[in-house]
Amino acid sequence: MADVEQVLRETVRKLLQEQKVCRVIGYARGSSALRSTPVFIEDEKDADSLVFDITCGNNLTQYLKKCGKAGDGRVGIVAKGCDGRAVVQYIAEGQVKREGILIIGIPCEGVLDHRKACDKTQGREVSEYRIEGEKVVLKGKDFEVSLDKFDVLSDSCRRCRYPSPPVHDVFITEPKEAASQEPECKEFDEFEKLDASERWAFFENEFSKCIRCYACRNACPMCYCEECFVDQSNPQWFGKSTDLSDTMIFHIVRVLHTAGRCVDCGACERACPLGINLGLLNKKVEKEIQERFGYTSGLDPDETPAMAAFDEEDKQEFIL
Amino acid sequence: MSDILKLDKKRLDKFVAALLSEYRLFGPVEANGLTRFAEVESADALKLDSNTDESAKGIFFPQVETILTYENGKTETPSGPDKPIAVLGIRPCDARSLLMLDKVFGTGKYNDSCWTRRYENALIISVGCNTPRAGCFCNWLDLGPFSKQGSDIALTDIGDALLVESCSEKGRGFLESSDEIPFRKPTDDDLSKAAGVREHAESSMEDKVDISSIKAVLDKSWDSSLWDELAGKCLSCAVCAYLCPTCHCFDIQDEKMPGTSRGRRIRIWDTCMAPQFTKEASGHNPRPTGKKRIRQRVMHKFNYFVDVFGEIACVGCGRCVRSCPVNLDIRYVIKRFMDAG
Amino acid sequence: MIEAKVENTIGRHKDWQPKILAFLCNWCSYAGADLAGVSRIQYPPNIRVVRIPCSGRVNPIFILKCLQNGFDGVLVSGCHPGDCHYISGNYVARRKFAVLKTLLEFMGLEPGRVQFSWVSAGEGEKFAQVVTKVTEDVKKLGPARKLVRNLEPTETKY
Repeated sequence: MADVEQVLRETVRKLLQEQKVCRVIGYARGSSALRSTPVFIEDEKDADSLVFDITCGNNLTQYLKKCGKAGDGRVGIVAKGCDGRAVVQYIAEGQVKREGILIIGIPCEGVLDHRKACDKTQGREVSEYRIEGEKVVLKGKDFEVSLDKFDVLSDSCRRCRYPSPPVHDVFITEPKEAASQEPECKEFDEFEKLDASERWAFFENEFSKCIRCYACRNACPMCYCEECFVDQSNPQWFGKSTDLSDTMIFHIVRVLHTAGRCVDCGACERACPLGINLGLLNKKVEKEIQERFGYTSGLDPDETPAMAAFDEEDKQEFIL
Repeated sequence: MSDILKLDKKRLDKFVAALLSEYRLFGPVEANGLTRFAEVESADALKLDSNTDESAKGIFFPQVETILTYENGKTETPSGPDKPIAVLGIRPCDARSLLMLDKVFGTGKYNDSCWTRRYENALIISVGCNTPRAGCFCNWLDLGPFSKQGSDIALTDIGDALLVESCSEKGRGFLESSDEIPFRKPTDDDLSKAAGVREHAESSMEDKVDISSIKAVLDKSWDSSLWDELAGKCLSCAVCAYLCPTCHCFDIQDEKMPGTSRGRRIRIWDTCMAPQFTKEASGHNPRPTGKKRIRQRVMHKFNYFVDVFGEIACVGCGRCVRSCPVNLDIRYVIKRFMDAG
Repeated sequence: MIEAKVENTIGRHKDWQPKILAFLCNWCSYAGADLAGVSRIQYPPNIRVVRIPCSGRVNPIFILKCLQNGFDGVLVSGCHPGDCHYISGNYVARRKFAVLKTLLEFMGLEPGRVQFSWVSAGEGEKFAQVVTKVTEDVKKLGPARKLVRNLEPTETKY
C-alpha cells in the first residue's frame, strides 16, 4: 500500500496547491496500528498525514454535508468503492452538487473488522501489522500472529462487488474492475435457508444486545435526516428504552429508510460496539430491490432512487 | 501479609456458594459473543479472565429501570433487592468507578434511592487485570491493574489458584464468617508468583502520562479551536457514554400500556452527546452543535467533576478508546489539550 | 394479576378473536367498505378501520406500531393501480409495501400478519372477501407474539 499512499499524498498536495479543492476528507493514522481516523486536510503541508490501508473503514461520505460550506470551493474526498457509491447516492438524492465534490478514487482491498482482529489477539495492543499475500500478520509487544485476511475482513467487504468508486475525478493508481456478478455470500445464503422461527430467534438475539447508542445510524452516510424518527418527541413514535420490540423496530425502520439507498459499506456494523449483525437485513433489502425493481444504489448519479420512483408494471403478487 | 488467603480455582464453587447464601451475585458472563455482567447462580457461568465489553455500572444503575408503576391513578414504587448484591470478577477500574458514581448518587446532599438500595450494602470483589488490553490507561488515573479502591475483596489470578485479600471491613467480615470456603495459606512461591503477574501487567501497559494539571488546562480551554477539530469527526453517538463506567446522565420517560390505564415511569441512560439531551420543551436547544456537546462531555469528566468531587471522572478502562467508531481517542484528546497548554 | 391483564389486553384467552387494523384509502377502499355495508354483505367484525387519504400515506411505522401495540394483523387497502386519486400514490405505496413485506418475512414474521389489497369503491363484495380472508389467515396464526410490546419491567427486579 506504500506507493498508493505516496501517490495519494502527492495528489492531494497538488490539488490543494492548485486550489482545485479547499479541503480533502481522508484518513490519518489513528491511535493504534489497526485504527485510522477521519482527517480534514486544508493545508498542503498536512497532506503527509494521509494514510490508506485496510484500517480505513469509516465511510467518509457522511462528512460531506458538514464539510462543504457555501462559496468555499470544492471538497475532495478519498473514496473507496463504497464511499464513492455513497457520494453518487448523495448526488442522486440532491444532497450535494456534483460540481462541489472532487472524488479521489482509491483501490480498496477490503477493510478490517476491528473486532475480529481484536478477538484474534485477545485484545492485546497491536503495534504493527503487515500484509503477506492473503495473510495479515499482527505484531505486538510479545506476540506475532498470522491470520487469513478473509477472517478479519469486514462482512460487507467479503461480499463487495464494487471495489472502486463508479464515478471519480482522479484515481490513485488504477481502478479495479467491478465483479461481473454478485460475489457469493455463504453466510447470507445459509441464513435464508433457516426456517422462520430460527430467523426470528436469530434477530431477537442480535437486537437484544442493542444499547441504543445509535452508532450504527450516526456512522451511516445514508442516515442524514435532520431528526431521526426515534428522536422525535411530538409525537414520540417509539419507546426509548432497550425494550426488545422498540429496539427491533428501530432497526427495521432504519433498514426501510435506507432501502434502495444503502451501499452496503458496512460502516454501521463496524461502528456497533457490541458487534450486532446489521448487514444481513441491509443485504436482503438490497437484493430484493435489485430483483424487483432492477435498481442498484450508488452507481448512477442521474438515476432516480428505487424508492422514489415506480413503474406501472411493478410486480404485485403479494397484493390481494 | 497474613491477610492474604489462597483459593484453588477448582474450589471457586464453594466461594460462590457462600456468596449466594447471603447475596444476589453478579459477575461477567459470556453470551452472544460478548462478555457482560449478569446475575449468576453458579461458578461455572463466570468468565473471569477478561474485562467485560460493557462496564459494571449497569448492575447498580441499569440502563432501564422502572422507578414507579401506576394503575388507575395509584402508584407503586418497586422495592429494593431481597438480598444485598455482590459482584464477583469486576475489574479494578470498574470497582473504582462505583465509588465515583456513589459520590453522585449516594452521598452528599441528594440521595438517589434507586442507587443506594443496591450499592449501600453491596460486596465488591474485584479481580486484578493480568493482561490489560489495548487502549487501557488506568495508570494515567493513579490506578493500576491491581488497584483496590472500591473493592471489598481483591482477587489475584496466579494460574490455578486465586489469592484473596480483604480490603475493607465488609470484605474482612465476609471472609471471616465464611468458614466453609476452603481457603489455604499462600506459600512464598504463590506470593512471588502474584508479584510477577502484577509486574508483568503493569509493565505491559503503555507509559503513564501525568494528567494532574488537566483541570487547570481545561479551565483555560473553553474557547480553544481544538473543540471544532474534535467535533469535526465526532459522530455524536453514545458509544463512549454508554460504555463508560462513570457516565451517569439519565432521562425519565413515562410509558403507558395501550388500551389500559396502566403504565410505568422509567429511568433510562441518556447522553450529552445527543442533540435531544438538552432540547427544551420550547424547542430551544442551548447545546445545539456537536462542538458544544463534545466540550460538555470532556469538561464534565476532566473539569467540572474535579471541581465538585475533587477527582477526574475517568478510570481509564479504555472502552471508549476501543469502541469509538472514528477513533476519537480520549487519551489523544487529553494529550492535545495538555500540549496546547 | 398483571399477567392476566396482559393476556386479556392482547386477547390470549379461549374465545380469542383477532384484532386487525385496516388502513383504508378514502377514495376507494373506504367507499368499498361502505358499499359492503349498505349492500348488507356479511364479513367478520374483527377489523378496526382507520381512514387515510391514500395508501401512499401509510408509513411502515404505522404498521409496526400496530403490531407493537397488540394488533394481531394489519391490512392496508387502496385504489387499484391507475385509479389513485393522487395519480401515483398507490404505485409508490406498492414499492414500499413490497420491501416491508419482504423484510418482515425474511426476519421471520408470519406472512399473514401484514397484508395489502386493492379494493375499488364499486367492490363491496371484494372488500368482504378480503376481510374474510385476512381474518381467517390471522386466526390460523393465533395471537401476535412477535414485536408485541410488553410493558412489564424487563430488567432484573432487584
